[in-house]
Amino acid sequence: MAENKRVCCQPERGLVLRDVTLTAGSTCVLRDASLTVPLSGMTLLSGRNGAGKSTLLRAMLGLIPLQAGEILTHGLPPTQARQHIGYMPQSVTDAALLLPAVSHVRAAVDGVRWGLPLRLRARREESDRLLALTGASAFAHRPLGLLSGGERQRVGLAQALAGSPDLLLLDEPLAALDQAGQERTVRLLRDLTERLGIGIVLTSHETEVLSGVVTRVVQLADGGLHVRV
Amino acid sequence: MFEFDFMRHAFVGAAVVSVLAGTVGWFLMLRRQAFAAHALSHIGFSGAAGAVWLGFPPLSGMVAFSLMAGFVIGAEREGERGVPAQRDSTIGLVLAASLGLGAWFLHMSNRGSSLATTLLFGDVLGIDVPTLEALCGVAVLCLGLLAFLGRRLLFASLAPEVARARGVPARLVSVVFMAVAALACAACAEVAGALLAFSLMIGPAATTLKLGLGPLAGIAVSVGLALGLSWGGLMLSWVTDAPVPFWIGLGAALSYALADLWRRFRSP
Repeated sequence: MAENKRVCCQPERGLVLRDVTLTAGSTCVLRDASLTVPLSGMTLLSGRNGAGKSTLLRAMLGLIPLQAGEILTHGLPPTQARQHIGYMPQSVTDAALLLPAVSHVRAAVDGVRWGLPLRLRARREESDRLLALTGASAFAHRPLGLLSGGERQRVGLAQALAGSPDLLLLDEPLAALDQAGQERTVRLLRDLTERLGIGIVLTSHETEVLSGVVTRVVQLADGGLHVRV
Repeated sequence: MFEFDFMRHAFVGAAVVSVLAGTVGWFLMLRRQAFAAHALSHIGFSGAAGAVWLGFPPLSGMVAFSLMAGFVIGAEREGERGVPAQRDSTIGLVLAASLGLGAWFLHMSNRGSSLATTLLFGDVLGIDVPTLEALCGVAVLCLGLLAFLGRRLLFASLAPEVARARGVPARLVSVVFMAVAALACAACAEVAGALLAFSLMIGPAATTLKLGLGPLAGIAVSVGLALGLSWGGLMLSWVTDAPVPFWIGLGAALSYALADLWRRFRSP
């Protein structure tokens, strides 16, 4: 009870893992891992292919159960924390490619509620704001399937920003982009952290383009997590 | 042609079913579940055959069988990326099992070929008032449930993983939606027959999506097209004596082809 009260009223900012054991199929991602790390600025979650970076992001959102231990994000367990977290999966949606990009963002703006959309104008304004934030306004009314990989990613980012999260979890946002596209995306992410004051956790193998931009690196290896600032 | 009761009933029944098919079909196509729509209407055929054997109205059997199949298909566990990993296998096997049962029901009911023809090709001109009332009841229930699912269904259809990450109960939404789709397929089968029921679900929705319209405009156009197809089919059938499902099926394919041409013409 006392623990609940502490979590409720004085949330620890950042990511806390306590004795976490997490598996993905037959692979052990974390074994009794503990860690406390702030999530301000940009945090790079790195590790070799198949180490379980995506699995850890999904566990932070409560999409995958832990075998043991607990994960707290800003003092909250995953099912509560995800109300304050925006998520962009590795493969940005490939559903309904003929629908205009703006429809995908509008669906995310009020998609957590039951019933029909009633405040259409407010929803339209909010989705326009999100698309402007991620630099996607110019192609918002084109079908998603006709957009390039980088453009689609901007739409995915606008979706992730719906609900005004204070943390973004981005799974491989630089994958499948050329050098120029990666640099544009990194500039955009840095801009978002500065303008919105939100934290970003991203997984990536592209350490070169991220050097000097990320605030810290969390290395996932051998069932444990290690922080480098 | 409106001086006859059976024609008036047919037009009203076709209108009710078109509103339902246009709306549910749009979501089915959005979720890439055309095979589910195809399977559910065929599964309804087996249920109808069973109902006839047991002495119940065919619509009740269609609804019961389609609904059960809808729950089985919708409840499938989702894979890593939010989409059921073995969706087509599950649908295929549920379809195979129910068609087997349907063949057995037809055999037992001893009314083989004439009953099968009616169920497979529909009997829109034979709709009576109780059937019309039942169709209206199904339509109101389905549209009410769709309105309730609304925003969460759309979000979970467009970005399943992101929706789940934000707490949308995607599996519950999927199960309820498949139940709605099952009811809608049963209702469509009553008008267009089990073989062509999904032409009303898929044709207008696929055409609309091809036009690149957003959800609200898309559903409205899809309903309008379904209405055009079913009423057009009735009128052409009156004039030419060809079966209504023939015109509906042909019209669905034609409208999609025209939308495709328009798309190609407009694309750079």
